[in-house]
Amino acid sequence: MHSNADKERKLRFDRIVAVLYPDMYRYAAWLSRDASVAEEVVQEALLRAWKSLDALRDDAAAKPWLLTIVRRENARYFERKRLDTVDIDSLTPAQSAMIAGGEDSEIRDVREAIFRLEDDYREPLVLQVLLGHSTKEIAELMGMKQGAVLTRLHRARLKLKAVIEEMAA
Amino acid sequence: MDSKDYKDIIAADPSAPFDDSELSADERARVAAFRDEMQALDAKIKAALSVPIPELDLPALPPIDGSKEAGANVVDLPLRNKPRLTTPVWLGIAASFAIAAVLGVRFLGDQTVYPSLAAEVVAHLDHEPYALTVTDTPVAEHRLVKVVGRSGAEIDTDVGLITYARSCVINGKTIPHLVMQGKRGPITLLLMPDEMVDGAVPLSGKSINGVILPVGDGSIAIIGEREENLSEIEQRVVDSVTWRI
Repeated sequence: MHSNADKERKLRFDRIVAVLYPDMYRYAAWLSRDASVAEEVVQEALLRAWKSLDALRDDAAAKPWLLTIVRRENARYFERKRLDTVDIDSLTPAQSAMIAGGEDSEIRDVREAIFRLEDDYREPLVLQVLLGHSTKEIAELMGMKQGAVLTRLHRARLKLKAVIEEMAA
Repeated sequence: MDSKDYKDIIAADPSAPFDDSELSADERARVAAFRDEMQALDAKIKAALSVPIPELDLPALPPIDGSKEAGANVVDLPLRNKPRLTTPVWLGIAASFAIAAVLGVRFLGDQTVYPSLAAEVVAHLDHEPYALTVTDTPVAEHRLVKVVGRSGAEIDTDVGLITYARSCVINGKTIPHLVMQGKRGPITLLLMPDEMVDGAVPLSGKSINGVILPVGDGSIAIIGEREENLSEIEQRVVDSVTWRI
């Protein structure tokens, strides 16, 4: 028999994951730039989150807590597998599929440009534009100063703008 | 601040409000145009980042602390009274492996050095102790197909109740790590299409027994509880696995 505490714990976990799983996956997908790797990373992150759920005092803080776990699991994954950074000219089928999605060719170009961005620039952009984090929250999640985040975001947009204009020319 | 400073602020966060009243009308117009441009860029970035999200595939969740069961589908199989073997015990077991194990030095991503395939296989079990959950909930079929297929293998799902599937790394290669349910508890299967062994390599310890079996140009590790009769399972597993490449 399950104790009430066990059931409550599982319900709490399910409730949090149901809301935040999409953000976990999208973050993992853009950290790894590989849909298959993202699934692995999220699976591992879910297990870690389950085991350390009691450390989450306030469910309102669940999003940064889960994204931090995803970030660490992604780092562990690449450390374990010793994968190099993605070479845009030799993408795996999974990586190519991630770029190719969607009908709009301009959006595909933008996606490819985001793929080309260095990790340091792509990650804060994903956190801000896609996941709606403030620069303060991004700084906390990435363990950086807010000023450094602002600089990276600024450079990321200007780099993207330049690459997109170059593609369009 | 001049219009360049404002543009820097906008490029860092186009949606953030700010007061540009100190600028001239011309400068304000230029800043506003830049802001519009950056906001349009953000709309494209957001659309580009919106990749499809696969259906949530929740892994088997291990029991926590005093919990005796992992979920509603737990079956009545004998659970160990003590936790999984600790690292020192495993190392002891690894040291006692049959000499027939593949000799040589193996380097993993974490730079751990293993003296043999057998030692690496056993050490790997301790990396994912939560895989050894007693449950009757099968792993999602699409996940099983994906994990096994990634290594260039196929498995007949009639082999038994498979409750865990994950891509892992053995000797630097990605391989499927599966867990099926035996009569005495969980049984670990490591499908290793690139790891040849000359003959069956027995694995034994205080709480486990197992074997690495040669299969074509590769091998399969099968490890269960000490009391598990693996001979009933070995042939079934070998017959159910095909190397595609």
